[in-house]
Amino acid sequence: MRALVRVLVRVPVRRTVAGHAGVTVTRVVASEWTKLAGLRAPVWVVVATVAAAAALAAVLGMFLRPGDGGSGATLVVSGHLLVQLGPLVLGVLVGAGEYGAGTATTTFTAVPRRLPVLAAQVAVTAVVALGTAAAAVAAAAWATAGVRAGSGLALDLGDGETARVLAGYVLSLTGVALLGLGLGALLRRPAAAFGAAALLLVVVDHLLATNPGRVTDTVRALLPGAGSRLLLDDAGLASLDAASLGPDLGPWGGGVVLGLWVAGLLAAAALRLRRGDVV
Amino acid sequence: MISVTALTKRYGPTTAVDGLTFTAPSGAVTGFLGPNGAGKSTTMRMIVGLERPTSGTATVDGRPYAELAAPLRTVGVMLDVRSAHPGRTAFRHLLAQARTHGIPRSRVDEVIALTGLEAVAHRRAGTFSLGMGQRLGIAGALLGDPGTLILDEPVNGLDPDGVLWVRDLVRRLAAEGRTVLLSSHLMHELALCADRVVVIGQGRLLADATVPELVDGTEGGSLEEAYLQLTAGAVQYRGGDVR
Repeated sequence: MRALVRVLVRVPVRRTVAGHAGVTVTRVVASEWTKLAGLRAPVWVVVATVAAAAALAAVLGMFLRPGDGGSGATLVVSGHLLVQLGPLVLGVLVGAGEYGAGTATTTFTAVPRRLPVLAAQVAVTAVVALGTAAAAVAAAAWATAGVRAGSGLALDLGDGETARVLAGYVLSLTGVALLGLGLGALLRRPAAAFGAAALLLVVVDHLLATNPGRVTDTVRALLPGAGSRLLLDDAGLASLDAASLGPDLGPWGGGVVLGLWVAGLLAAAALRLRRGDVV
Repeated sequence: MISVTALTKRYGPTTAVDGLTFTAPSGAVTGFLGPNGAGKSTTMRMIVGLERPTSGTATVDGRPYAELAAPLRTVGVMLDVRSAHPGRTAFRHLLAQARTHGIPRSRVDEVIALTGLEAVAHRRAGTFSLGMGQRLGIAGALLGDPGTLILDEPVNGLDPDGVLWVRDLVRRLAAEGRTVLLSSHLMHELALCADRVVVIGQGRLLADATVPELVDGTEGGSLEEAYLQLTAGAVQYRGGDVR
């Protein structure tokens, strides 16, 4: 009877070896965590990201003048342009690091199905980036406490707009980490991945900005840098959209664009991993 | 047992491995020989699923490597000397490998002791000498206590003590009924530890025989002589005479 049920609902018969001795996704995640935590570079990247978020927000806060507009939340996230380098480096290190160091051989002989490794890297990178970004928000809030008190800028988490900006900052930094992971895993060279990330996040956007129009503005809105819309408050979004002839993405649309880039790059990396050779 | 059948690998116009067929039986050490560029490493990488064959198949105990539920418990692999990230300690490197299969930490300590790496287990692999890197690679191959071992140049860079240790180790593993496929350029070493040899040149099979069979059919009467005669037409990289 049980055998019949198994056939009917297509439940694979769980092999003893797979349950006790074999490769499982949970075990691959544990392995990827062991690898990441065993290196110095990622630890420094996390520390530097949090420190940079606090320092940049504090320094930018010193230049605040009455009547500049903005809010406590926009001040806390104001270091974003440089802070995102941290998660980007983290993702690229995880995605491309194995190939340069020759350890891909070890990794993929242990997990010859390969894709569980990429999935585990996504999980580990997302968790570390999320934690780092949350710590960055906390550090920047602490570092700007004095300036905010002096200029009367509130930071009330009960306020919907404030909560959205802070959550958007955390999400966009996590998205950038996964963008780095996707590029690193696809290109397998850290330098190439950084170059491509710089092009996609900054350079192309700035080049297109010199020639505004319906087409260029639309392209700009669909670049992964659109993820930075997540940390704009209502006034910021309004002024950005007023200056653009591209599509109106709303407060969350930029995050969706970044998410689609991440999904597309990870899919391409998975395809290369699945089809090709591990060199 | 490792079975390679009509295995072929092309990179664009270059054919690295060309219709190669051989078996490495269990309970024996099979030496895998050939000049530089003959396709030994490519063949080994295809057996363990790192490179996709253009055509042909490779199986371990009758199954393709990528279909094994617990590959490390079936096959121990050492392909590159630098297989550990230079920034990671030997212990962490082995622990990460072990975790993919739920192999306990105590087994990591065991293979560290077995390969004589206790004193350097918590040093970063980037500081290791060639010989220590080899020992770390062998430790990784032994982690899952596998029935088959695939070792690419395992004695390269080892001191005489280490060479003797590897020789005894592979002899003992084969005596326990395991399959050992081992590549090397050191003919004297192979003559001492291999039961049979597979010789390839330019990706093709040149000989597949026991060591006595090969040596007895040669004038010089040594494995080295037999190897040089077999590969005379297949050497791609040859040094010039010193004038």
